Amino acid sequence: MPNSDKTSIKDSILQRVYEDNLAISDPYTKKSHPARSPSNRVIFHVLPVLLITVLFALIHFISDPISRRLTDPVAFSAKDSIYPWAKIIRDQQSAPTGGPLISYGGDSIPGSEISFDAQRLLNYDFLLNQNHVRVSSIFGLDIQTIVIDPGHGGKDPGALGSQGTREKDIVLDIALRLRDQLMESGRYRVLLTRETDTFISLSDRVKFSNFNKADLFISLHINALEQKEFNVTETFYFGPPSDEYTLRLAEQENSGSEILARDFKNMIKRIGDVLKEQESATLASSIQRSLFSNMEKYDREIADNGTKIAPFVVLLGVDAPSVLVEISCITKSEEEENLNNPVYREKITSSLKGGIKGYLIKRQTQVVKGDDDGEKFLNKKS
Amino acid sequence: MAKNSSTKKADEKLLVGIDLGTSRSTISADNNKKKWVESYVGWPRDFISRKVVGKPILFGEEAVKHRLSLDMYRPLKNGVIKEGTARDEEAVKELIRHLISLVQSSKSDTKIRAVVGVPAESFKMNKIALKKAVAEFAEALFVVSEPFAVAYGVGALDNTMVIDIGAGTVDFCIMHGTVPTEEDQRTVLTAGDYIDQQLFTFLKERYPQADFNLNMIRRFKEEHSFVGKIEKNVEVEIPVEGKSTVHNITDEVKRACESILPAIVESTLELIAKFDPEYQDTIRENIILAGGGSQINGLAEYLEEAIGEYGPTKVRVVEDPLYGGADGALQLAIEMPEEYWTES
Ligand SMILES: Nc1ncnc2c1ncn2[C@@H]1O[C@H](COP(=O)(O)OP(=O)(O)O)[C@@H](O)[C@H]1O
Ligand SMILES: [Zn+2]
Repeated sequence: MPNSDKTSIKDSILQRVYEDNLAISDPYTKKSHPARSPSNRVIFHVLPVLLITVLFALIHFISDPISRRLTDPVAFSAKDSIYPWAKIIRDQQSAPTGGPLISYGGDSIPGSEISFDAQRLLNYDFLLNQNHVRVSSIFGLDIQTIVIDPGHGGKDPGALGSQGTREKDIVLDIALRLRDQLMESGRYRVLLTRETDTFISLSDRVKFSNFNKADLFISLHINALEQKEFNVTETFYFGPPSDEYTLRLAEQENSGSEILARDFKNMIKRIGDVLKEQESATLASSIQRSLFSNMEKYDREIADNGTKIAPFVVLLGVDAPSVLVEISCITKSEEEENLNNPVYREKITSSLKGGIKGYLIKRQTQVVKGDDDGEKFLNKKS
Repeated sequence: MAKNSSTKKADEKLLVGIDLGTSRSTISADNNKKKWVESYVGWPRDFISRKVVGKPILFGEEAVKHRLSLDMYRPLKNGVIKEGTARDEEAVKELIRHLISLVQSSKSDTKIRAVVGVPAESFKMNKIALKKAVAEFAEALFVVSEPFAVAYGVGALDNTMVIDIGAGTVDFCIMHGTVPTEEDQRTVLTAGDYIDQQLFTFLKERYPQADFNLNMIRRFKEEHSFVGKIEKNVEVEIPVEGKSTVHNITDEVKRACESILPAIVESTLELIAKFDPEYQDTIRENIILAGGGSQINGLAEYLEEAIGEYGPTKVRVVEDPLYGGADGALQLAIEMPEEYWTES
């Protein structure tokens, strides 16, 4: 490329770097810069576009708990990044056009943890720092963080088989395999609540997941039944127990929970989080279907308990859609033998992966196609 | 590339390019100094630890050495400064302060002007936090994405593709005469750390009695990494029951290094495919590998062959994988017009 070309490319690149950085200036620490390029007229043009974007984002936010995570508001203005974002929002705050947002926000999710009052939305501080809606996640380009939680560990062996197989070892092995399989594509960030045989309290598992801003949380367990001839596969999401059996199972898996009553109360408030529940239910059924169709190949008598609701503490505390999988029953001796076979565990892992990816892909295509989930949801509530 | 500093007055500005990496951070200044440090920051856990380590804060290798006495942070580990946790932001800030101190001459009152390159993911998510973190030390600064800084540094401005293989991420970026937007970039999470993880698993499987940890594994990898044809056996010493023993790890090293290739090839093709066919050929012939992972032996050849199935392909490796990002950022700083600095 001729040198003069290169110089002019460089000039325009440097200008872009400058403009991009202007747009991301933190309004608190920066002195206000003289509005160099954007004139008021331009801002006037941008405003309607922006409002629509925010509205669009909001609808997806409401319908899409998965994207309820870090957002870079700057991304909105990627194309017009010379316009300082903060400024536009300020203008918007005084504009009466903010009206429609209020009615969306105010009514749609009463009692949900995040209330969408317009004040909060229009407060640019909130937009800048809360980062809830990221454009890339709306368009499904986002990297997803998946937290896998192998149950038990350390002093807590979990369920025991008659030949000495321990739940904690099996689920850890499957979790490690699942991480490798999910990471293969390079599209998912996969984190484990434990990577070794250590004891981790349920509340620490919850904290870990929320701290890392998980998009999905999957807890892995193996069941033990009194009726040793039975084998069952089932997948849970959080809710009040549907029967005596699920209550007892939840008690078992919850034991060792160090969650304080106070925290528990706070968590209970989230039961109103309909969105998380819907997503969890969808995820649960995708995993259950994939897992069961695999397990059936090995044990034709295995029962498909489907997806169920139970009050597992881990599922409650985690912000992301979350499920707990009871893969099979270690108390059936043939199953215990199978679980000791690495090939079998790899197969189980593949079917778990299949269920998870099935869910994610469905989500993604829905989001990309602009699925009307959001509207459905709103209609249902009204 | 760096301007001669002798013509400058003592009270003048120091221009620096900083590359904040997930595993290593580097700085390159226009006084010709270059330094790097592992991206670890550690604070003594308590009063006693403070006495033991003798410092209020430790960085890089020194922090790793004393990790048992420290609260350790690798602030950009997952490509995100975890906001809400003040400590992570604090760690970034301290890391930058430390880097600048490494290149600053004794008079520490020189005004700093910085261009900071950060992993593409952080760039998307944490620009504001980053700007805040640096604002304290620099009179003025610009934040850019790391692969873009690399591209700028090697003059790959138009119809080129940079693949920056770091520890936590592989960042792809297509340059077409302007600052890349989100659409021109992509991030894949199977990178250096993933190779380590895989190698660890493979070796545990093959040599269950051998006693090694992730740090040893990373060393083995950095010394012997390769993909494609086996040219020589890789043999390393690993203790077994306390006794140093030679192990052949050729296949495992190869498999582990190759585990990141499918995602790299796929992402490269997908990104290129977004461009007009007339540009695709040019881009394919201008692929540049950067970052620590670009030093894997046979990597350029392997990618040339794999991507070559779609048309003529040329893949080269940047001259200085360690400082590519910092040098590029410095060059941006040097070429940035004065009025941009004063108005930013
Ligand atoms: N010779 C080598 N072969 C393979 N990988 C290497 C080599 N040297 C360094 N690496 C790896 O490169 C990664 C660090 O690259 P770097 O560009 O410094 O990353 P980041 O920008 O993420 O800090 C680490 O995973 C390191 O192990
Ligand atoms: Zn369990």
